[in-house]
Amino acid sequence: MKPTEKILNLLMLVACAGLAAGAAIVLAAGDPDVDPPLAPLPAVPEPPDNPITKAKAELGAMLFFDPKLTGDASLSCGDCHDPKQGWAFADPISRGYPGTVHWRNSQTVVNTGFLGKLFWQGNSNSLEKQAPTANKGAVAGNGEDDVMEARLRQTPEYIKRFKEVFGTSQPNLGHAWMAIATFERAMLTQKDTPLDRYLKGDKSALSAKAVEGMNLFTGKANCIECHNGPMLTDEKYYNTGVSRPVEFEETGMNQITFRWENYAKGVHEKKYREWKDDAGLYYTTKRDKDAGKFRTPPLRYVAFTAPYMHAGQLFTLEEVVDFYNDGGGTNEFTERYGNKTPILQPLGLSDGEKESIVAFLEELSGEEIIMPIPKVPEYGVMPDVPGLTQAQAKRIGLETYLSSRGQQ
Amino acid sequence: MLRNKPNRLWHRGVTGAVTLAAVLGSSAAVFAAEYPALGPLPEKKAPKASLVEMGKRLFFDERLSGDGAISCATCHDPAEGFSKRTDENGKPQALSDAYPGTKHFRNAPTLINTRYKADFANVGWGWGGHIGANLNDVVRDQITETMIMNLDMRIMHERMKQDPVYVKMCKENFNGECSSGKGRNALVAFMDSLVSKDAPFDTGNMSAAAKRGQKLFEGKAKCIQCHNGPYLSDGMPHNTGVPENMEVFTNPMRHLTYRSVITNHGTPKPDIWRRDVGYFMVSRKYADVGKFITPTLRELKYTAPYMHNGTMATLEEVVEFYDRGGGKDDPLAVELEPLGLKASEKKDLVTFLESLSSATPVTVEKVEVPQKYEPIGNWLQVHN
Repeated sequence: MKPTEKILNLLMLVACAGLAAGAAIVLAAGDPDVDPPLAPLPAVPEPPDNPITKAKAELGAMLFFDPKLTGDASLSCGDCHDPKQGWAFADPISRGYPGTVHWRNSQTVVNTGFLGKLFWQGNSNSLEKQAPTANKGAVAGNGEDDVMEARLRQTPEYIKRFKEVFGTSQPNLGHAWMAIATFERAMLTQKDTPLDRYLKGDKSALSAKAVEGMNLFTGKANCIECHNGPMLTDEKYYNTGVSRPVEFEETGMNQITFRWENYAKGVHEKKYREWKDDAGLYYTTKRDKDAGKFRTPPLRYVAFTAPYMHAGQLFTLEEVVDFYNDGGGTNEFTERYGNKTPILQPLGLSDGEKESIVAFLEELSGEEIIMPIPKVPEYGVMPDVPGLTQAQAKRIGLETYLSSRGQQ
Repeated sequence: MLRNKPNRLWHRGVTGAVTLAAVLGSSAAVFAAEYPALGPLPEKKAPKASLVEMGKRLFFDERLSGDGAISCATCHDPAEGFSKRTDENGKPQALSDAYPGTKHFRNAPTLINTRYKADFANVGWGWGGHIGANLNDVVRDQITETMIMNLDMRIMHERMKQDPVYVKMCKENFNGECSSGKGRNALVAFMDSLVSKDAPFDTGNMSAAAKRGQKLFEGKAKCIQCHNGPYLSDGMPHNTGVPENMEVFTNPMRHLTYRSVITNHGTPKPDIWRRDVGYFMVSRKYADVGKFITPTLRELKYTAPYMHNGTMATLEEVVEFYDRGGGKDDPLAVELEPLGLKASEKKDLVTFLESLSSATPVTVEKVEVPQKYEPIGNWLQVHN
């Protein structure tokens, strides 16, 4: 640990202690938990079984932008997580696989190395697991393992790079997801945003307006109840009463995807017939009280990732602040199951206060991450190998291999 | 076990069955009586017309592929014998297209007379015997298969439910709401309607040359060893030594598709093969490398090019190939011997083969299917 990191950790401890003492002041009755304070981003966690290396991150960047890892090889991770759209997608509901549409808002990849729960439903617990889920989902990448892997193995550049990075003679799909995760961790993590600098003691890093916003955020507006810690999320699930996206009612393709999601996620037929909204956490737990709950999204980089909420129901940060100032909303599930989070109450913010909160959110977002898009490597003709004729196949021992498995 | 230990005759109750090895290895005269007789296709009940209509619409509907880019008719073109003769530039097409992002490594077979396949096939379908042996299953597999249609069956279900035309057709045919299963049944009904109708061989209007050709077919040329029964196929895998179509390995898209399929089927060492392993993919017996399922010979006029890899453009080439005793495949046995046919005999044989094709092509008018999905207007009021 570097000395600076030691100091940082010490600061965090002090801040935690301060908050524990002050929590009762911020929140009176009904506070469900102790809220970790806002904190600077630490070093990105590095899984012991997938350490970060430069070569691996570069390979991951190529794969991130390579359409070979989807069904018809027409879109890549970077199409729904577009660097120019905040490493997300600017439509309320993300584009989907060609011929389909998704049913949720595409979230930014920036800083996701810090998250323990990925997707709005929180149903993936690592970047290594998130990538194949996205690339294989029928309304996302619609890829299939054998074809995707065969495409990598047909690409000389990948054969070379996978060998260098992973030491295998052929690219392996599992390694591809590890490389993509490494790219995201290593190259899409923000450092030294104004919020980080401010929290580390540089009081000039945020404007006076933003500081006022931060104080409201952690105080009167009570955002910190859920948006806390270094990533500004508690990674817990709430039904805040966000309304049903209008697309479900208005667009044929969205209706198809909506029904398909409920069908594919195995809800009881009665609910498949009757529900008209995305039940979020319910699909994981199958408990009615979890219907319409979504994992608190992180707020870092938020200025670049409009629109907001799980289906992009709100277009601007102003609308989001208004939504919470009103104490949230109601939806099908708050009405069916009475499960709207009691945390949300009308806030009584003045216009100036709302502006301050927005200023805080914008300033904490830091600089936009833009980088050159790697060139997609091309397929190649594979060199001839022993095995061209059966006689040759015999010589390299294929018959022995078969008989050893009792198949000859 | 059927796939691994096929017995070509038992299930049809033919007595005195001859084992494949004994017949094919023998240089003795071939007697037509030893094989299921050629003959007209048995009469079958015509599928329900309204169900055929529903199946036809699905057949032409590109929304049956994952990305909406292709339909069944893309590779099984009604204008080309429900197979594919030409590519988009009108050039002969040996190897089939496939789902975007892949390219197939085999020739698209005809769908005409598929309803008879189950009666005469002893192992799985497809050139390699690697797909199911029940038309409904095969339809499902082809729709969901990554390099064919790549569509989740549940998305098919929901796409059908979104289209008022299908909703009406499902109600009419099944008195119920749409489902992928009903869609598959309709596609089966449509394919059941694709049957040879007026082939001279069936109607008895064969020329003298065609009749001479049939004699050769059943005798000197020994075609009947494998091409027998009303479907003109024993449905079994054989190695005739057809040369490789090296485009499978020189075109990276085809090669990667081939590799992905044999990987998927657990074929050992998928990266090293530079030949189509054929039935080996199913049996994993080394002796089955290079064996392919005998195709039907009906409707050949409309379904060029020939062989599993489309390497032969004309029937004349095919007859020449067998006259030579097929190809070489050392050290494995090619199950053929030179035939010593005269030029006139080859001609008669081709004439006979042509008499197995319908005089008027089996085809259907293309159905234009709007690809857009309209919203369900009173969505909030109706049940999903």
